[in-house]
Amino acid sequence: MAHYDFVFDGLGLRDWCDEGASDGPMTMEQLMAQARGEDPAATSGPLPFPSLDSLHQSCGAIPQTREMTAWLERSFLDAKDTLKVVLDPATQPLSWMLDNALWIFTATPWWILLPILIALTWFVSRSRPVTIFVALSFVFLGAIDHLDVAIQTLAIIFVCTSLCVLFGVPIGIAMSKSDRLQRSVIPVLDLLQTLPTFVYLIPLIFLFSVTESKLYGIAIILYAMVPVIRLTDLGIRLVDKDVIEAANAFGMSNRQKLFGVEIPLALPNIMAGVNQTIMMSLAMVVIASLVSAPGLGVLVLRGIRNLEIGVGLIAGLGIVLLAVMLDRTSKAALDRVDVSRSSR
Amino acid sequence: MRKLALTAALALGASPALAQDCGEVSITEMNWASSAVVTAVADFLMTQGYGCEVTKIPSSTNPAITSVAETGEPDILTELWVNAAPVYDRLAAEGKVKPLTDVLSDGGVEGWWIPNYLLEEHPELATIEGVLANPELVGGRFHQCPDGWACKTVNANNLRAAGVEEAGIEIFQHGSGETMATSIAAAYQDREPWFGYYWAPTSVLGQFPMTRVDVGEFDAEAHACNALEECPDPKLSPFPEAKVLTVVTDSFAEENPEVTDMLRNMQFTNDQMNGVLAWQEENNASPDEAAVYFLTTYKDVWGDWLNEAASENLASILQ
Repeated sequence: MAHYDFVFDGLGLRDWCDEGASDGPMTMEQLMAQARGEDPAATSGPLPFPSLDSLHQSCGAIPQTREMTAWLERSFLDAKDTLKVVLDPATQPLSWMLDNALWIFTATPWWILLPILIALTWFVSRSRPVTIFVALSFVFLGAIDHLDVAIQTLAIIFVCTSLCVLFGVPIGIAMSKSDRLQRSVIPVLDLLQTLPTFVYLIPLIFLFSVTESKLYGIAIILYAMVPVIRLTDLGIRLVDKDVIEAANAFGMSNRQKLFGVEIPLALPNIMAGVNQTIMMSLAMVVIASLVSAPGLGVLVLRGIRNLEIGVGLIAGLGIVLLAVMLDRTSKAALDRVDVSRSSR
Repeated sequence: MRKLALTAALALGASPALAQDCGEVSITEMNWASSAVVTAVADFLMTQGYGCEVTKIPSSTNPAITSVAETGEPDILTELWVNAAPVYDRLAAEGKVKPLTDVLSDGGVEGWWIPNYLLEEHPELATIEGVLANPELVGGRFHQCPDGWACKTVNANNLRAAGVEEAGIEIFQHGSGETMATSIAAAYQDREPWFGYYWAPTSVLGQFPMTRVDVGEFDAEAHACNALEECPDPKLSPFPEAKVLTVVTDSFAEENPEVTDMLRNMQFTNDQMNGVLAWQEENNASPDEAAVYFLTTYKDVWGDWLNEAASENLASILQ
């Protein structure tokens, strides 16, 4: 058991060890050894990695790993009040926007809302097939009694995606101008995309009340903002150096270059980023429902919990349908503004 | 010569005869604290006492029941909270699952709870009438079960019967059990009021002591109607004790009657389980360590669960 005794005895730290020793609870290995009739304190088994827990068994003064996790928890709870004072007002506009969007979308009767949405599709895409597809999708969702929940999800996605683009594109532009900024932001983006959402959502419940809509708003925005940032950065960096040189030769200022040359040429990549952002927001719908977001996610969860596979599947397909609608619309809008294509 | 060497090798490699051969067993480990302890205790007793090769399967209520009903795996389901799985009754009626015993012998305790510090400050909140008369004192909100849990329907009907919404208390439906637990922890941190549904024994109620609000006498008929979504005239009734079962497959019961007997005897009272969970929280212990604490503290309890051969195998711990 106590494999590393020799290390501490050899270094003469035995007194220090026993002084600071705190007896941890009996482990399963010790009990199993006792069951087999062996002395639980005796050394047995293969040499374990010199981890905090293994070293703790030889030297009680070394803390166990659980002390580290407990320390993290205590630090968070101590810092909680300060964080609350800063973060709560900063994120309140998000709550306000989500609540109002949900109210507007659900309070408007369908015979006003749907024509507005279909007209919006036409204005943005100017493409008859896409508009007809969107119209038919809404009719289908309405026919199977999924219109209310689909509209709620749509409202949430609209708000979150707009905010993602609003904040993401400027950050991407800033990253493309500065290598140092890019190097420091990329790890943060990696973290946001891979850290399990529940891990930071649960502590957020300590900061904001669980009834606040900004909880799921933050979950969706933090996850979905990453593609638009990455692709904006990529798109601007990929702008042909010769074109930039020509722009410099014409004496354009940095601002003129950015808005006149770089952004228009980077637009395909930026729109690809926006498209991916929309997809990822919809992917987060079910997790958002785990923290009390309304919409199609609630139906999916109900289907899973009640073992009503059909309910879950249909609600899931509703999410897919919304995704396809938004995808085709945004792609059609892209084709209209794509400078590099229209010159062919 | 080779045959001799092979036989010698086999003899050396054979494990010490544990008097009964159990084989491979799969057992669920549900994703909450008390179930992890139950599974760890069962795992230890089966491995050390009966010579089984135990595989723990992390799971939760509905996937576990579905898996047992449709595929016959895993062999043992521990801590099945029957009222969280309305589908259980249907499957039991079809004979696809076989209940052994109430693993939590007192049954689970469900109800509407308020924190102890709130009750001390305002003793009038001990009854539902007091709560309805003072909605601001409980925070103006009732924390309702997530959609898909059986308690959601029962609570909805009880809330209608009691007139909770009319009294000015907003009914907030949580998205998941995790957010409910976190909201209790967050309220306790700031000593804010909290009023909603929860159940015991859990590590949440072990850590954050709360008291149930008195909603009157239990009425079996009213409760049966409350369990249906379309209950026409719901009447207020508290929850009965919740059945928490150990369930095994028929094939497992036939092949391993000794182990099945042990599982049938394995029961924990709420006091024992609450004590173990509270100890686990205090010492930041893992489920294995909590199981060890139970095994070393309650030797006279689990000694009775075992048959002769297993008691012999575990004699060194039992004395």
